[in-house]
Amino acid sequence: MVYTLLQGLSPAETDEVLALGSRIAVPSGGSLFRLGESADRLFLIERGRIRLSFPMLVRNKEEEVFFQEMAPGETVGWSAMVPPYRFTLSATAPLETELIALSPETFLAFFDRAPEVGRKISLNLAILVGQRLQLVQAMWMREMQRVVELKSGQRAEAH
Amino acid sequence: MDMFIMGLCFTFFCLAITAAAFAAATRPRASQAAAQPELRAIEATPTRFFADRAKPPLPTPIAVPIEVLLQQIENHVRLEQAAAESFVAYPSHALLHSKTTSPFVN
Repeated sequence: MVYTLLQGLSPAETDEVLALGSRIAVPSGGSLFRLGESADRLFLIERGRIRLSFPMLVRNKEEEVFFQEMAPGETVGWSAMVPPYRFTLSATAPLETELIALSPETFLAFFDRAPEVGRKISLNLAILVGQRLQLVQAMWMREMQRVVELKSGQRAEAH
Repeated sequence: MDMFIMGLCFTFFCLAITAAAFAAATRPRASQAAAQPELRAIEATPTRFFADRAKPPLPTPIAVPIEVLLQQIENHVRLEQAAAESFVAYPSHALLHSKTTSPFVN
C-alpha cells in the first residue's frame, strides 16, 4: 500500500509512522466525522472508500451533497493538522472501510524525535492541501465563468 | 267641384306617402345592430420587428424525486472535478473556459 501522506519515506519509517496509529473500521453507510466537529484525528484509508460531502439546501430541506470520494492510500481529515482544527466536510463510508487513525499530538511528538521524517510528511501534507486548493479554485473559476455567461446572456447570444 | 275633390284627394295621398317615407327613414335599426359581430378589443402590446408572435409558455420543470436530483448533482460534481483536474494538470485558458459536458446545467 502506498500512502500519499507517507510518500518518500523508507519502509522502516513508514512502519514506524503506521505503528503510531490505530486501525478502525467503519461499516457501510457509517459516519467517520461530521462537518463542524473537532478534528482530533487524521485518517489514512487502508481499504474501502470514504465519501466527502457537505450540506446543501435542496427543495428547502438540508441534504448531504457529494463533494469527493477518497480511495485506499489517500488521506482524509487533514483539518486535524490545520487551525482551527475543525472538520469542514462530512465523511461517510459507502462500503465497509478500514482506516488508520493518527492523532496530531502523537504525530507532532514523533516529528520532534524524527525531524527528517517530519519534514517529508509535512511536505506531503502541503502537497495534499495545495492539490485540494487548486482543484477547488479551478472548479470555482469555472462556476464563476458560467454565472457570468448566464447573467450577461452570452450563452443565449451564442445560440 | 269634381276637380277640387280630386285635387284634395291627391294632396292627402301625397302627404300620406311623404309621412310614411319620413317615418321609415327615421325608425331605429335595432335588428341590424343586433346582427353586427362584436368587435374584439386589440391588445396594446408593444410590437417588435423580431418577435411579433406571442412567446410560447415556459416548460414547467418536472419534479424529479430527491434521490434522482441528488444523483444528478453528484454526477455534475464528478464531471466538474474531472474538468478541474484536467485544468490543474495542464493549466490553459481553453481548459478553464471549456463548456461543461454536465447535463445538469445544460
